Amino acid sequence: MSQTTVVTAAKEPSLWGGGRSPFNVSYGKMMIWFFLLSDALTFGALLIAYGTTRFFSSVWPDANQVFKSFPFAGESNLPLVFVSLMTFILIMSSVTMVLAVHAGHYGDKKNVAKWLQWTIVGGICFLSCQAWEWTHLHGECISLWSNVPGQVQHGLWGSWTDITTPPSEFRHFFGEKSLAYVDAHPLVAMQSTHNFFNYFFTITGFHGGHVTSGVIFNILILVNTVNGVYERRGHYEMIEKIGLYWHFVDLVWVFVFTCFYLL
Amino acid sequence: MSAPQNESIQSLYEGDQSKLYSGVLAHHSDVNSAESKAQVKRIWNIFWFLLVITIVEVVMGMKFSHLMPRGIANFLFLALTLVKAGYIVKVFMHLGDEFKGFIATVLIPLVLFVWFIIAFLADGSFWLHMNDDSPARHKTEQVAK
Repeated sequence: MSQTTVVTAAKEPSLWGGGRSPFNVSYGKMMIWFFLLSDALTFGALLIAYGTTRFFSSVWPDANQVFKSFPFAGESNLPLVFVSLMTFILIMSSVTMVLAVHAGHYGDKKNVAKWLQWTIVGGICFLSCQAWEWTHLHGECISLWSNVPGQVQHGLWGSWTDITTPPSEFRHFFGEKSLAYVDAHPLVAMQSTHNFFNYFFTITGFHGGHVTSGVIFNILILVNTVNGVYERRGHYEMIEKIGLYWHFVDLVWVFVFTCFYLL
Repeated sequence: MSAPQNESIQSLYEGDQSKLYSGVLAHHSDVNSAESKAQVKRIWNIFWFLLVITIVEVVMGMKFSHLMPRGIANFLFLALTLVKAGYIVKVFMHLGDEFKGFIATVLIPLVLFVWFIIAFLADGSFWLHMNDDSPARHKTEQVAK
C-alpha cells in the first residue's frame, strides 16, 4: 500500500473532488432508487386520480361493505379480514427479503438462497390472494343487465355502463348513511360504483403487475445465487437492488391499503 | 473510505462499479457476529412494530372509525400509514444508512406530492360544489348574495 493513499485517506478529500463515489453508492443502486422515485410518482398519480374522483362524487361505496368476504367463508361478514391477511403476507415477505439482503452483506450464500425462497413463496401467496379477490369482485359486478331470467352478465372488469341495471345490484356496496341518497339518485350511485371498481382493478392490477415482476426477478437472482454467480463476483449487491424494488412494492401496498380499504 | 479502494480506484470505476459501494467492501465476514445478530434483531423488531400498526389500523377500520368524526379517523389512518412507510424506507430499504446528501436527493422530489395532492383534491371538491344541484347549495349562494 503506497504512502500517498494513506495520506489521501487521512485528509478526507472533498466529496465532489473526484476519485470516489460522493454518495458512497454504486451507479446501479443509485439508478434503482431513481427508478423507484419515478415509479412512486406513477403510483401517486393513480392514487391521487382516485382521490380526485372520490372528492367530486357525492356518494361513494363503503369499503366495509365491498370487501367483507373471505375464501370458503360463504356469506359471512368479515370486513377487512382478507385484505389484512394479504397485508400481513406482503410485510412478511418484505422481512424475508431484508434478511436475504443481510445475509448477502456477509456473503452467506446458503442463507441468501433460503430467505429468497421464502420471499418468493410470500409473493406467490399474495398473488394467489389477489387472484381470489379479483375473481370474487368480478363476480359481484353484475352490471350488464339481462332480461333473461337467471342470466348474469358482467361488464369489463367492474364497468357499470348499462343504465337499466337495477339499483339492487349495487345498493349493497354503500354504507347505511348513504342509502337514502343512493335510493334517490341511483344513476349517480351507479356512476360512483363504476368509478370505484375501475380504479380498484386498475390500481391493484398495476400493483399486482409489480409483484409479479418482483417474483420473476427474485427467481432470477435465486438461480444466480445458487449457481454461485454472486459468489464469483465477490458481492451480493444484486440482491440489495432487487430487494429495494421488492420493498417498494410493499410500500405501495401500504398506501393502496390505506386509500382503498381504510379511508 | 478504506485504502484498498483508492489503490485500484481507476479500475473499479472502469469495471464493476458496485465494488465502490462500501457496504460490500466493509468487513462483513462473520454472519454470527454480535453486530450481525443485532441487525437481525432490529429487523424483527421493526417487523413486529409494523404488524402492530397494521392491526391497530384494521381494528380501527372495523370497529371505531365509524364512531369518531371522519376527519379524525382519516388523519389517524394517514399518520399511521406514513409511520409505516417511513420505517420500511428507513430500515428495510436501508435509506437511513446512506449519506445525508443521497437521502435528500431521494426525498426532496417527493415534496411535489404536497402540491399534487392539495391541488387535485381541491379541484375535485370544487367540481362537486359547482355541480351540486341540491337545494342546500342554492340556499348558501342566496345567503351569500
